[in-house]
Amino acid sequence: MNKRAFLRRVMEIVPGGLSWGIILGLIILSIIHPVISALIIITFDFYWIIRTIYLTTLLIMAHQRLFRQKNKDWLQCCLELPAIQGFSALYQLVIFPVYNEGLEVLRPSLEALSKSHYPKEKIILVMAFEERNLLAHETAAILENEFTGKFGAHLSTFHPDGLAGEARTKGANATWSAREAKKFLDMQGIDYEKVIVSCFDADTCVEAEYFGCLAYHFLTSAKPHQASYQPMPVYNNNIWQAPSFARLIEISSSFCQLIESMRLEKFVTFSSHSMSFKTLVEVGYWPTNMISDDSVIYWKGYLHYNGDYRVVPLYITVSMDVAYSNNLWKTILVQYKQKRRWAWGVENFPFVVDGFMQNKNISLLNKLRRSFHLLESHVTWAVWAFILVVIGYLPLLFGGVFFSQTAIAYNLPKIAGLLFRFTLLTSLTWIFLSWTILPPRPKGISWLKHVLLVLEWFFVPFIILIVGSIPALDAQSRLMMAKYMEFNSTLKGNKVV
Amino acid sequence: MLNFQKIRSLLFYLSLSLFFAGLPFILSFALGYKFNPHTLKFTKTGLIFVKTQPDGAKVYLNGKLTAEKTPTSLHELVPGTYKIAIELKQHYPWKGEAYVEAGKACRLDKIILFPLRPNLLQLNQEKFSSFHIDFEKKFIYYLDQETNVVYRSNLEGGNFEDIASLPEKFTSIVGWQVADDKNKLFIFNQHQIVVVFFDNQADYGYADSAVFLDYPQEKIINVFWYADSYHLIVFTDKYIQIIESRTQAHPINLVKLNKEATVAFYDSKENLLYFSDNQKNINGRAYNNLYKLDLSSSPVLLEKLMKKDNE
Repeated sequence: MNKRAFLRRVMEIVPGGLSWGIILGLIILSIIHPVISALIIITFDFYWIIRTIYLTTLLIMAHQRLFRQKNKDWLQCCLELPAIQGFSALYQLVIFPVYNEGLEVLRPSLEALSKSHYPKEKIILVMAFEERNLLAHETAAILENEFTGKFGAHLSTFHPDGLAGEARTKGANATWSAREAKKFLDMQGIDYEKVIVSCFDADTCVEAEYFGCLAYHFLTSAKPHQASYQPMPVYNNNIWQAPSFARLIEISSSFCQLIESMRLEKFVTFSSHSMSFKTLVEVGYWPTNMISDDSVIYWKGYLHYNGDYRVVPLYITVSMDVAYSNNLWKTILVQYKQKRRWAWGVENFPFVVDGFMQNKNISLLNKLRRSFHLLESHVTWAVWAFILVVIGYLPLLFGGVFFSQTAIAYNLPKIAGLLFRFTLLTSLTWIFLSWTILPPRPKGISWLKHVLLVLEWFFVPFIILIVGSIPALDAQSRLMMAKYMEFNSTLKGNKVV
Repeated sequence: MLNFQKIRSLLFYLSLSLFFAGLPFILSFALGYKFNPHTLKFTKTGLIFVKTQPDGAKVYLNGKLTAEKTPTSLHELVPGTYKIAIELKQHYPWKGEAYVEAGKACRLDKIILFPLRPNLLQLNQEKFSSFHIDFEKKFIYYLDQETNVVYRSNLEGGNFEDIASLPEKFTSIVGWQVADDKNKLFIFNQHQIVVVFFDNQADYGYADSAVFLDYPQEKIINVFWYADSYHLIVFTDKYIQIIESRTQAHPINLVKLNKEATVAFYDSKENLLYFSDNQKNINGRAYNNLYKLDLSSSPVLLEKLMKKDNE
C-alpha cells in the first residue's frame, strides 16, 4: 500500500473511530467517572438546545424563501433577461438514471417533465437504463413511444454491466449516459457551455417552473459553471398514502435539506441536482465507483476549481416518493437501508482529504474548515441520538451511591427535561411547517389524517434512534472495516426507485 | 440571499456566544455552584431533595414557605443545617433538619404524611370479645363470650350475621379458630376443646351439634385445624397429638414433648408444623431446638427420631 492509499485508508477509519470513541468513551466514563460524564452530557444537551433553536430559525427563513418564490413565473424572468445572457441558446439536458424501476415510477416523472413551463425543444431527455435490467429495452421503447415529440430530443441509453473500474452504482449509469449525451451534443453542434445537465432520481417529479428557475439562476450567476444547482427535495408523490413512520422521516429529511440550503459554506449537492454540462465533462463526470455520486460530484467541482465552487440553492421543490413497504417492520428496514445509503456519504471524507492533499491551490484554512465540517457533520449524525436518548441516562444508572448523592445527579435529569421541552417547542414549529408543504389531500383520504400528521411528531424520540444515529454508525463502521457498500435501490411504496 | 446570509451569520455568532456565555452557568448550576451577581463569585452549594407520600405538600425552609411542592429539590443552599417543615392539608405535618454539604444532595425521601383524621370505620354491629380475620375468604369472625354467640361479616363490616352459638357453660376460652372449610370452629380452654358447627350448614353430613373433646389429665396449650378441616392438631403440656373432631375420638400422640410451654406454627397449605422443644446436653443443661414436622408424610418416623435423640 503506497502512502496515498494508506492515508486514504486512515481517513476511512477516522469518522467511525471517532463516533465509536465518543459513544464508548462516554459509556465507560459513565461507569468510572459519572460526574465528568454528566458534565459532558449536559454540555452536549445545552449545545443541542442552542443548535436546535438556531437550525429551526434557519428552517423558518428557508421556508419563507420557498414560499416567497412559489408560483413565480421563472420563464418570464428568463425571457426578460437581456439577450446577451443567452437564454435562447440554453439547453436543458435531463438524465433519469433507471435501476430497475418500472413504468409506474417513470411515467409520472416524464409526465411532470412534459408539463414543464419551459420551451420543450430545449429539453433533451436521457433515459439512462441498465443493460442488465431485462425489461430495459421494452420500457425504453414504451416511453419513447408515449413521449415522442414532447421534448427536443429523447435518448435512451443502456449502461453495460461490469465495465472495468466501475461498481454497480447510479453514478456509473449516469456517467455512461452523460458520455452518450455528449456524443449527441457533438453531433448536434451544441456548445457544452450552453447546456445545463440535471441528474434526477427516477421518481423525481419537477415543478412546472423548475427549469425556468434553474435557467434564471444559471444565467444570472457570477460564475455559472462553477456552481451546482440544488432544488429542495420533498417526498410528496405518495405522502398521503405512506405510513406515519416513513412520512415523518422524509418530511424531516426535506427540512434538513432546507436548513442546509441556508448554510452555503457547508451546502453540498444531494439527490436530484443540476450543473453545467461543461463542468461535468471537465471534472470527469460522476464517480463510477462510489455510491454517493450526488455529493462527490460537488467535491470534484470544488477540487477542480480550487475551492471556487459552490452550490446555489433553488427555492423550488422537486417531488419524490416516500420510501415504505407494506408493513411497519419492512418500512423500518427500507428506511434504515435508505438512511444508511445516505450516511454512506461519509465515503466523501477520505475522497475529499485525499483531494486536498493533492491540491496545492486551495488554502490550508479552507481545507481544514471543509474537512472539519464534513467530519463533524457525519460524526454528529452518528452520535447525537445515542447521547440524547441513551447515554444521557447512564450516569444515573451506573453512578452508584456516591453519584446519587451529588447535586449533579439531580440536575442532570432537570437539564435533560429542559432539552425535551425545547425540542417539543421546536417540534411545534416543524409540525406547522410540515403542514404547509403538504400537497392537497387526495380524494378518499380522511381528514383524520391531518390529525395523525400532528400526532405522529410525538414519535420523534423513538424514530431518531432507529433512523437517526444507528444507520450512520452502521455506514461508518462498514467504511472503517473496509466493507464497502454497494448501491441498492430503495423500495418506495409499491414501486422500486 | 445576501441579507439572509447576513442574518444567518448574525444568528450563528449569537448562538455561539449564547453557548459559550451560558455554558459556565449551566455547568456551575449542575455542579451546585451559585453565582453571586454582587460579588461576581461562584459559591459551591448543595441541595435538599424532598419526597413525600402523598406528594404535593408545602415545604418550609428555615420557617419560610418555598414556592415548590413535593417532590422537589431545594437548590443553591449554602452548606449548613436547615430546618425543614412539610405541610399538607388534612395531614400531620413533618418537621426535621437537613445537613447540606457543598456539591451534594441531602435526601429526605422517606417521609410519609399521615392523615389527620384517618378513615375510621366501626365494623361490628354487636359486642364481642375477640375476632379473627380470614383475608383469603374476606370474612371477619367475632366471638362474644358473654352471649356465647359467633358473628361473621365481610371486611367492610357488611352482611353482619350470627352464625353459631357456643355451649353455655364453656368458660375461660384460651383460643379459637375457624376451620378452612368455613363450616365450623373450635374453642378451647385448658382441659376441653369444643367444635361448634355454624348454622344453616345443611349439607354438612356427620354432625350438627357441638363436639366435646376432654383432656382431664393434660393441659391444652394450643390447637390447630389440620388441613382437612376434620382433624385437630393439639399441643398439650406432654404431647403433640392429632385427633378427629368427633365425639369419643382417640388422639394419636405424634411427639412427646419435653417442654411444657412450647411455641408452634402450623402451615396448613404445606401441612407443616413448626415447634420448639427442650433438650438436655451431657451437662444436664436444657437448650431449645426448633423442629419441622411434615404432617403430609408419616409422622411416626419423626417421633422415632426424636425419641432416639432424647435417649
